[in-house]
Amino acid sequence: MDSAEPHSASRSRLRLATAIGALLVLLGSYVVSTTAPADAAPGINAIRVAEFPADCTYSHRLPDDPIIFPGLPGASHMHSFFGSTVTNAHTTLPDLVRSSTTCNPRVDVSSYWVPTLYNNNVPVEPSIATFYYLGEGVRADVVAQTQPFPLGLRLVAGNARAAGPGDSIARWSCLHAGHVPPSKDFVTCPAGTMLESYLDFPQCWNGRDLDSPDHKSHLAYPVNQACPASHPVHVPKLRQVLRYPVNGDPSRFRLASGPGYTMHGDFFNAWPVEELARRVRDCIRPVIKCGHDGRPL
Amino acid sequence: MRAALALLLATVLLVTGCAAGAPPPTPGTPPPLLSGVPPAPAADPAAPGGSPTAAFPGVAGQFNGTDIAWLQLTVAMAERLLPMLALVPNRTTDPSWERLTTRIEATERTHLTRSRRLLADSGAPVTNPHEGHDMPGMVTDAELTALRSASGRAFHQLLAGHLRAHLTQSVRIATAERQGGDHPATTALAAAVVRAGTADLARLDRLDPPPTPPPAPAPPQ
Repeated sequence: MDSAEPHSASRSRLRLATAIGALLVLLGSYVVSTTAPADAAPGINAIRVAEFPADCTYSHRLPDDPIIFPGLPGASHMHSFFGSTVTNAHTTLPDLVRSSTTCNPRVDVSSYWVPTLYNNNVPVEPSIATFYYLGEGVRADVVAQTQPFPLGLRLVAGNARAAGPGDSIARWSCLHAGHVPPSKDFVTCPAGTMLESYLDFPQCWNGRDLDSPDHKSHLAYPVNQACPASHPVHVPKLRQVLRYPVNGDPSRFRLASGPGYTMHGDFFNAWPVEELARRVRDCIRPVIKCGHDGRPL
Repeated sequence: MRAALALLLATVLLVTGCAAGAPPPTPGTPPPLLSGVPPAPAADPAAPGGSPTAAFPGVAGQFNGTDIAWLQLTVAMAERLLPMLALVPNRTTDPSWERLTTRIEATERTHLTRSRRLLADSGAPVTNPHEGHDMPGMVTDAELTALRSASGRAFHQLLAGHLRAHLTQSVRIATAERQGGDHPATTALAAAVVRAGTADLARLDRLDPPPTPPPAPAPPQ
């Protein structure tokens, strides 16, 4: 009984010391893991670009759009789908999570879709379709606070209803022909080059909704290098880059939605939560260029 | 362990001062994603019984995404068709075409009024998300221009093609709305659109036999 008291006290002291020790170790490793990449000088190992990619080849075509026309097959103009191989008008998140994918990495079972490009009324699919996840266009401290897309988030970019280039954020250029000035409408690419389309998605989320009645207002583009107060959560900037195996006279080209400036993109996020969180933590926030596996290049 | 991690993160935030630049968290809501887990969304498609067609926050309860998308598209399609029908009296004197288009116009106006009212009830955006957007079954500006300079048999043929495209698409998406919609008055309107559209397609086929076999009629329900 006499010895019980001091023994118990020393044990609780030991527990406290162990807890503090463990905390310090965790704190130490956290600080190291978060500051080490930032301390890595350019040129040592890491390439200082906040980026990881998913390359997703063409999967299928349907006149469907599960974001804009959920449950209404055939209601849309023709779309070309990338990533998940099952997407149609009825697709829900569980369908995507269970589906196979055309993406590298294979863990990305998200769905991406765009209006189909026609060359003389014959559908043309991109030979290269890359979806870059970037930390750019905002201040460095905003990039450092980037959050992953929530599972099931639906995003749209571009303006399918654009009446002219002024209403559009589309960007057309030529792969391997940088001297051709980019345009919001189709450009004439020299023989041997490919027509390419760039489209940037909004990167500021309202932190609450996976979708909104107009399918746009739950996200916003940055203002003055930061996310506006209405959409305070900075998420990766999704940049869609499509390379089409066509060149020459653009009067032969049209999109299912109309002229080149009606280019738009839809994204339905189904990345496994941990895979996306890891990439945001290891590539975007510390500003490191990663490969398809989400590891530094 | 969880508590230790939370304490750790709090410590790190305090030590590094990161919290200063962070957006103020909503009271009672954990800051999203420090744990890598997204916050509970308002409309969670993964929730049991949920789907992307679940009602949006702020949108009256019984309308799902399919109801709203269908109402918006139905309004947009009717608004495209009516200017074409308005051309008919000046471009033809054939009474059978006048009869058919007068009948279709009356039906479209009735359905347009009901669609607009339901859309207002739903609280969904009043702006037409399909304005200026050429969707399947819609008459384009270029086609409208071509109609304005056509007459006689050429006009009848163009008119028949556009009417057939419109009615076929209307019946197709209204059939999908009957199956995928939730709101009773909206699915009832979809049923009326299917009925009227199928009957008008049959009248059109008698007046202008289709070049290819007509699409299968909507299954009766």
